[in-house]
Amino acid sequence: MKYIPTIGIECHVQLCTKTKLFSEVDNDARGKEPNSCVSPVDYALPGMLPRLNGEAIKFAIRAGRAMNCEINASSRFDRKHYFYPDSPKGYQITQFYHPIIGEGYVELPSGTRVRIEHAHLEGDAGKLTHFKDYSLVDLNRVDTPLIEIVSMPDIHSAKDVHDYCKELWRLMCHAGVTNGDLYNGNMRFDVNISVAKEGAKELGTRAEIKNLNSFRSAERAAEFEIKRQTKLLEAGEKVKQETRGWDDTTGKTTAQRSKEEAKDYRYMPEPDIPPINLTSEFIDAEIAKLPLMPMDYRRKFNGVITDEILEVLLDYPSLMIKLNEIEDKHVKIISNLFTSVLLAEEKSAKYLNDLPDTRDLNELAEMNEKKELSSTATKEVFLRLFDPQMKGRGTKQIAKELGLIQENDLEALEKIVDIVLAKPETQKAQADFKAGEEKVIGFLVGQVMKESHGKANPSSVQEILRKKLK
Amino acid sequence: MDIKREDIVHLAELSNFSLPEKEIKSLQKDLQGIIKYISQLDELKVDDVEPTYQVFEMENVWREDEILPQEADREALLALTKEAKDNQIKVPKVL
Repeated sequence: MKYIPTIGIECHVQLCTKTKLFSEVDNDARGKEPNSCVSPVDYALPGMLPRLNGEAIKFAIRAGRAMNCEINASSRFDRKHYFYPDSPKGYQITQFYHPIIGEGYVELPSGTRVRIEHAHLEGDAGKLTHFKDYSLVDLNRVDTPLIEIVSMPDIHSAKDVHDYCKELWRLMCHAGVTNGDLYNGNMRFDVNISVAKEGAKELGTRAEIKNLNSFRSAERAAEFEIKRQTKLLEAGEKVKQETRGWDDTTGKTTAQRSKEEAKDYRYMPEPDIPPINLTSEFIDAEIAKLPLMPMDYRRKFNGVITDEILEVLLDYPSLMIKLNEIEDKHVKIISNLFTSVLLAEEKSAKYLNDLPDTRDLNELAEMNEKKELSSTATKEVFLRLFDPQMKGRGTKQIAKELGLIQENDLEALEKIVDIVLAKPETQKAQADFKAGEEKVIGFLVGQVMKESHGKANPSSVQEILRKKLK
Repeated sequence: MDIKREDIVHLAELSNFSLPEKEIKSLQKDLQGIIKYISQLDELKVDDVEPTYQVFEMENVWREDEILPQEADREALLALTKEAKDNQIKVPKVL
């Protein structure tokens, strides 16, 4: 009997607004001292009032649209109560009853669609660090704006868990709503998994694996959990409904807390934040700011760029936006330069936010196609276009300064060839070639290249040589 | 609605405080009275009334996304805590 897994994923995305969701405090605490980005609003001193960040509303609209979701004109905030040291308020401000983002779907590269149930805005909790007999609390992360994205249980394999998480990450990065820094917890995934016999009418009991912070861990945790639950069922045992944690080193999930008693969060409308009622003009203005999404690029560049290269480039929104500006006929060569030269550079991360002018890249491709630049020279000039000292000078100027422009002027080339053929040291090679020794053409081309200081186009040189030595 | 002993214990747990046995009984009685009083509202027909979320009739109150200097700094925060360590708030171990 075959067992089929059914998987739904909740994903928390930290938004890269300048300030927090409810206070005017720096939202980017990376590399900052603990508890240095905190306002009394975040830890709820009596009398403090949350002040909603309008930018987070706009980000949510863009994020929602990136997932093909309905944007709800009317949404509200609610309080979710619980006691935990990471949340000094004693509650989290979230959107339980009326989320801003409604139904939609994410299309995976394979074409599989995963429906989105809804997504909502909420504040993040603080960070706890555990020691032997105490824990330390850093409130820098409290009320960083989050979007929680809740998928329908449409995923049926560990690979699709990976692909869904990665595609969500790309969508959020392309929509420009998050820094997408997984290492710093900008996106976290909770994976809900159950397995049931093939054809069963009811789903099995599910376990939730919390707080996975990479696509790979999400995939591995799903893989492990599918096997664990299938084994239990095959042995005639039951799966317990529970929350499980994932350990990357052991590659196992372990029970954390049993979910037998349903949580009682005592949701209530947040009285300090008036409802949000958006006009369609407001929503449309935000949607208009969205660049193309990965699926748009896949359709647009299908047949022009190989899937392999495109899937690499899709991880870099700035490169895709640039590529979209490049003339159609140059897209292939520029995309190759992006993957094989730029991304291979050690400093590529630094370059990504400061790309060369589109005009310069078009010109570079053009010079390469006209054979004014050899492929090696094209790569060299390409890298110089990122050099703060040189960019701005323009492709042609840079190529000229570096002496990389190939001599394509046939008349000029012929003159150089004649000079070389008149030299005593080439006489033997010429005779050998005429006697049928093909190989020596390489030597002669080399002599011409040397005479031209490397600027001659080798294939043109060879053509001229063959004509003259017939 | 009957307020049972377990309801009081559950609420005390949710609110994170301990409750002496004798207070459970009296709270049980008080809460029962409060619920009964509020339940009078159930007699009203409100099927056609929009639920009230707030009474000020405000909407779309939000601010610009600009960082402002804060009056209360980390020292002010840590001064409010029982114990601090390494600029963080020290709490009993939680998992």
